[in-house]
Amino acid sequence: MTETAPSGTTQAILEARHVTKTFPGVVALRDVSFAVVPGEVHAVVGENGAGKSTLMKVLSGVHADFEGEILLDGRAVRFEGPRQAQQAGIGIVHQELNLVRDLTVAENVFLGREPLTRLRTIDRRTMNAQTRDLFERLAIKVAPDRRVGDLRIGEQQMVEIAKALSLDARVLILDEPTSALSDRETATLFSLIRRLKEQGVGVVYISHRMEEVFEVSDRITVLRDGEYVGTLPTPQATRDELIRMMVGRTLKSFFAEDERTTPGDEVILSVENLSLAGAVEGRRTLIRDVSFDVRAGEIVGLAGLLGSGRTEVLEAIFGVHGDRVRGRVCIDGRPVAIRSPRDAIKHGMALVTEDRKATGLVAQMTVRENLSLPSLRRLVRFGMVDGGAERRLADDFIGQLSIRTPSREQTVSNLSGGNQQKVILGKWLAIRPRILLLDEPTRGIDVGAKAEIYHLLRELSLRRVAIVMASSELPELLELCHRIVVMREGRAAALFTREEATQEKILHAAAPGGKETADVR
Amino acid sequence: MSDEARARASPSELRATPSGSLRAAASRLAGSGSLYVGLAIIFVTGCLVSDTFLTAGNQRDVLRAVSQNGILAVGMTLVIITAGIDLSVGRMLGLGSTLAAMLLVDRRWTAAAFFALSAAVVAAGVVSAVVARGLIAGERRDGVSRAVSCAAFAIGAALLALWTFPQVGGGLSILAVLIVVPLSGLLLGGVSGVIITKCRLQPFIVTLAMMTSAYGAARLIAAGGGSGYIHSLYDSEGRVPAGVDWLRAADPAALAGLIQSWAPAGLTGLLNSAGAKQVFDLIPVPGLFFLVSLAIGLFILNRLRFGRYLYAIGGNEETARLSGINVDRVKIAVYAISGMLSFLAGVLACAQYRQGKPDMGGMAELDAIAAVVIGGTSLMGGRGRMVGTLVGVLIFGYLTNILSLRGLSTDVQLFITGMIIVVAVLLQEGFLQRLTARRRQAE
Repeated sequence: MTETAPSGTTQAILEARHVTKTFPGVVALRDVSFAVVPGEVHAVVGENGAGKSTLMKVLSGVHADFEGEILLDGRAVRFEGPRQAQQAGIGIVHQELNLVRDLTVAENVFLGREPLTRLRTIDRRTMNAQTRDLFERLAIKVAPDRRVGDLRIGEQQMVEIAKALSLDARVLILDEPTSALSDRETATLFSLIRRLKEQGVGVVYISHRMEEVFEVSDRITVLRDGEYVGTLPTPQATRDELIRMMVGRTLKSFFAEDERTTPGDEVILSVENLSLAGAVEGRRTLIRDVSFDVRAGEIVGLAGLLGSGRTEVLEAIFGVHGDRVRGRVCIDGRPVAIRSPRDAIKHGMALVTEDRKATGLVAQMTVRENLSLPSLRRLVRFGMVDGGAERRLADDFIGQLSIRTPSREQTVSNLSGGNQQKVILGKWLAIRPRILLLDEPTRGIDVGAKAEIYHLLRELSLRRVAIVMASSELPELLELCHRIVVMREGRAAALFTREEATQEKILHAAAPGGKETADVR
Repeated sequence: MSDEARARASPSELRATPSGSLRAAASRLAGSGSLYVGLAIIFVTGCLVSDTFLTAGNQRDVLRAVSQNGILAVGMTLVIITAGIDLSVGRMLGLGSTLAAMLLVDRRWTAAAFFALSAAVVAAGVVSAVVARGLIAGERRDGVSRAVSCAAFAIGAALLALWTFPQVGGGLSILAVLIVVPLSGLLLGGVSGVIITKCRLQPFIVTLAMMTSAYGAARLIAAGGGSGYIHSLYDSEGRVPAGVDWLRAADPAALAGLIQSWAPAGLTGLLNSAGAKQVFDLIPVPGLFFLVSLAIGLFILNRLRFGRYLYAIGGNEETARLSGINVDRVKIAVYAISGMLSFLAGVLACAQYRQGKPDMGGMAELDAIAAVVIGGTSLMGGRGRMVGTLVGVLIFGYLTNILSLRGLSTDVQLFITGMIIVVAVLLQEGFLQRLTARRRQAE
């Protein structure tokens, strides 16, 4: 492969040479080299567990023990921690947001290096003023004195980026920055990235979304299984070639199969006038009078902008909000009282939540313990947990979902994002659900794992499981769902069958200010 | 745990030079095995500095001395694994000892009798209801399960009342005290649990309140008898109630005498034999209670669904709730168990010192927490092992023992113990390992 920097022989700001990093039982990076030059956007792509995040953590000083070397302006450096890397001008925005919710925007930006007054107290005025200047330079429209917890996810992301840049970063690493952003917010982010480029900042951009990579990057580096595969200038790269490099084989399309499942006639889950009263912590969105049916083997999609109430609908059905939910949920035509997730599970429901770390997994438990958690009550013999049955269940699902882990006893937090997602799916499939609720099931995971999850959902649909799936990726909803409910500001604004639905129609219905549709059934 | 050891050792093993592999082995020991290494070091030191350290008599004394702290630490381990804390255990021990002494000695309906018996009757009812529902009604939640629960509650409560109420006039038997007092502790601990879960308050503050209230209650109850706060077990002729000495000194013959009215002759014969004497010589009865609670704790953590749920709740409470775990019920149960164990320790303390008083067990909660943390259980929750707690308790016990064998004053002992806690936890956190890793990198 040729390593052509866009600006010819420009000296790289930051370079990794022959970096190898191992974790217990896993070689996360093997002899990987990588460089960023000033004023370029260098995309890094690869499947889950390809080593993208690990490489970024090595570059930003999070992992200090690795083999190989890091060069800053051509000189070898060794960062002892993220702080040193920051001082050297390397800013990173991690996939998960790392902001203190109860502090203001300015307090977050200046966390750990607050400007002081002569009396050694925090100089709030200077802090807010400097934050305002910084935001103006970056064209970010967020007031410095707002509480971070009150901001939308997209705004929080902007604050994170501004924070990383406020240390005069010369290299900015963005790890999956758009996974929680709406299209408009993504566009804002891209114009921000272009502005940084003009200022000579080197941007490293990690994403699973091919369209974004093509839109924003100058060069693309592909990693696979912890190894360096190659670097291409973006204009010369094609989607098919990148995918071939990522997976080591050619995939015909993202959606490998096209056989369509036909749902049955009997309604399994019926939601009638579901409303959620009272504010939920940190989220002000409520839902009002949402109604829809799901038939056996049917996949119903929930589309809508971030904050339109998709998540809340799933949570309300699953009993997460307890007594605050109004309306009726019927299963097999009979109304059921679901006041807690426990009730929901007893009625054969499962909910794959959006946030793996916060609500999906117990990070310090093993793969086995996570897989068996909801079904443990069925794995009991003589009052005791049946170790053998539990191990068989774990091995079953590790095999069935091809979860990549050195062993079932691996701590689940050591797995890559896509494999963690498979563990969550596995733990819910273990209760053999009749109704499967999914919230952003493919968020932040790679093409290969996505295809596997799509395949799995089709299979479940063939097995007549009723599926409700919320997603912000319209192509996947259009491909998978039999019907799509579009949410807007807490209401079900429209309902499309697969035949009627187009990206334009859905976007139109989801945009605030559109006209209402009374009954969407 | 072996996974962790591998994790820590692997970077050094990758560059295995002859001296490096030795170091790797050393750092592996310093990493996960440091707990056992620490205990071994203390044990060997004990053998070296004192002739009496290794004698059976001294070992028995250590086991006896640690048993109260050990019992508290077992409950504390379960609580801390759920990312909670129970500050009330020390004062609960004092309340338990006061109740035990008054129930044994005062032959009338004192405040202690009212308090302990009513609490125990309710607790017995609740326990029978929970057990019955688990066994008979299973997962059902309807009229049948409600009826089963109510019936079981009534039966459990009535049986305990029928057995214990008539005894009050003549002083409760030691067996009744061993059941009534821990049961009332179960109820009090459960109250903490209910407040923590239903009012969504921090365990720290709720158990702090329980600690204060338990002390106040103990003083109120103790003063009610009119004879001051301290209730001695001796009567006017210098005798103690039957069975107390057995609880304290482990005389199997005394136990045989105590139970011969209803036990089969073979059992009393066995207890009278020389073999039984030898066993009880080595393991004193309080130590036996400690080891049995520890074994039950171990069983709960490793074998029961309940134990797994403790780890899940401590690791990520929201995930646990969404996975269908009844988080509130599990947490209430864990504080109830801790309360029960503190009252049990209170009964043992009462027998040990032949008196019950509210002041007993002051600050004992801190020793228990220290032992649990030295044992490697994370105060953040989700991580911890019962065997670690055993080692933590033993490290504490041996240390105190060695220092007093060397004739050091209590003041010096306290000072040194404090420092040892820090060192032990540093070792736990792999401090040595990090130190050697840094030096290796510097080379």
